[in-house]
Amino acid sequence: MLTQHHLELIVYKTYADLKAETAKTYIGFIWWLLDPLLFMLTFYVVFELLLRQGTPDFIPFLLVGLITWRWFQNTVAHGAGAILQNRELMRQIYLPKIVFPLVTVLTDLVKFSLVFLILLLFLSVTGHPPGASYLALPLVLATEFLLIVALTCLTSAVVPFLPDLRILIEHGLHMLFFVSGIFFSSSQVPQPLHWLLYLNPMAGLIEAYRDILIRDQWPQLGLLSGIAGAAALACWGAYRLLTRYDHVYAKVVR
Amino acid sequence: MRDTAESTPLMARLRNVGAYYWLRKGYLRHERYWALRDVSFDLYPGDSLGVIGRNGAGKSTLLKLLSGIVKPDLGSAELFGHHATLLSLQVGFVPYLSGRENAILSGMLMGMHRDEMERRMGEIIAFSELDEFIDQPISSYSAGMRARLGFSVAIQLDPDILLIDEVLGVGDAQFQAKSSARIHDIIRSRKTVVLVSHNADTLRKLCNRAIWLEGGVTRAVGDTDSVLREYNDYMLQTAG
Repeated sequence: MLTQHHLELIVYKTYADLKAETAKTYIGFIWWLLDPLLFMLTFYVVFELLLRQGTPDFIPFLLVGLITWRWFQNTVAHGAGAILQNRELMRQIYLPKIVFPLVTVLTDLVKFSLVFLILLLFLSVTGHPPGASYLALPLVLATEFLLIVALTCLTSAVVPFLPDLRILIEHGLHMLFFVSGIFFSSSQVPQPLHWLLYLNPMAGLIEAYRDILIRDQWPQLGLLSGIAGAAALACWGAYRLLTRYDHVYAKVVR
Repeated sequence: MRDTAESTPLMARLRNVGAYYWLRKGYLRHERYWALRDVSFDLYPGDSLGVIGRNGAGKSTLLKLLSGIVKPDLGSAELFGHHATLLSLQVGFVPYLSGRENAILSGMLMGMHRDEMERRMGEIIAFSELDEFIDQPISSYSAGMRARLGFSVAIQLDPDILLIDEVLGVGDAQFQAKSSARIHDIIRSRKTVVLVSHNADTLRKLCNRAIWLEGGVTRAVGDTDSVLREYNDYMLQTAG
């Protein structure tokens, strides 16, 4: 379904979108760094300064959770509009619709990579230098990436048919944010409820990131492969949906 | 079935084609609107096929169907592996990018390769008369400059079948004459073209064959003069 030409188009469109985004503001891509930092500041003020609930190492703990979470949240939320926003284009030319969510995935991947590199730098100068467990980091990143591709493609495929779903997805993401263990650790959740916590794949992924980046421990590979398997299955489902309705989107989206 | 261009003299064959859109009718209710009901014709290499008909006759949907944007819900449309592209202006233009970057992006969206667009950039700059403005963001362009760029990019397209929907000249008077002349050249060349227009004179001047669409049905297919005569007779009748 996707040709070499489409892949080149996805890359160029990503470049174009990123460049257009930086050109829109005065300080350009600095916002990609400032944005998560400002976001984190709120949580730091509330939990560390006001509620005094911070654990030791609260800032690295919070940063790892927030940054990896926001990669997931931003991409999936953008994915909801990926096909819908290109209605003008869909009326003029034929493109496999999967191109649109993939551009979204790639654009947000670039922004995340930049922030993540700075996070690694920050961690190594604040007492968490890279350890042997870093070998597992690509595995965790790849698993989250797969999960993001799956959910972004799925939401982009479904929302044009049910536009109201977009609001529900926003609320769903918001709810997930509070139960993904971003400002608490899974050890603070009673053991009998762990299965509930880990039904949410992001909770497992964030713990895995913390194992590697803060605790220098090997992550739970069983849990990771379970998440990767489910994500791969969802990817396949999303691909089937987008192929099945490829020519229908131009008919429903007006 | 996928024939090559060599094994058949036909560029496209449509038989009893129907296609519908979904119209929203209130909460969770949709209704089918048949934009095309029964369309049949053949397209031969080198044809300039004119499509005439009133508003809502299904002309634009027919072009969408030929370019592969929508598929027929009834009947069959066979393009024998040929590519048909709608000549569209300013496809996918992004305001904050330069004219050059927009030209590449727009060309790629319409199926051209990146290096091919870069090779043709000299011609695009020359035809659009943008000169050094080509590297300025198009958000700083006037509407006329943007139209000139859009047109200069669109004429770089070289699909097997070129689809044209009423775009026969853009920009100020001088550029309109120039762009209109270029489009006429393209249509009169050996290229296979499907041209939609309200204007009978335009079709008479540019097309060797024509079809008349009414309510999503092909009412007449044949040489331009006889199809236009039938169309005019019908229009006079319904007016009187």
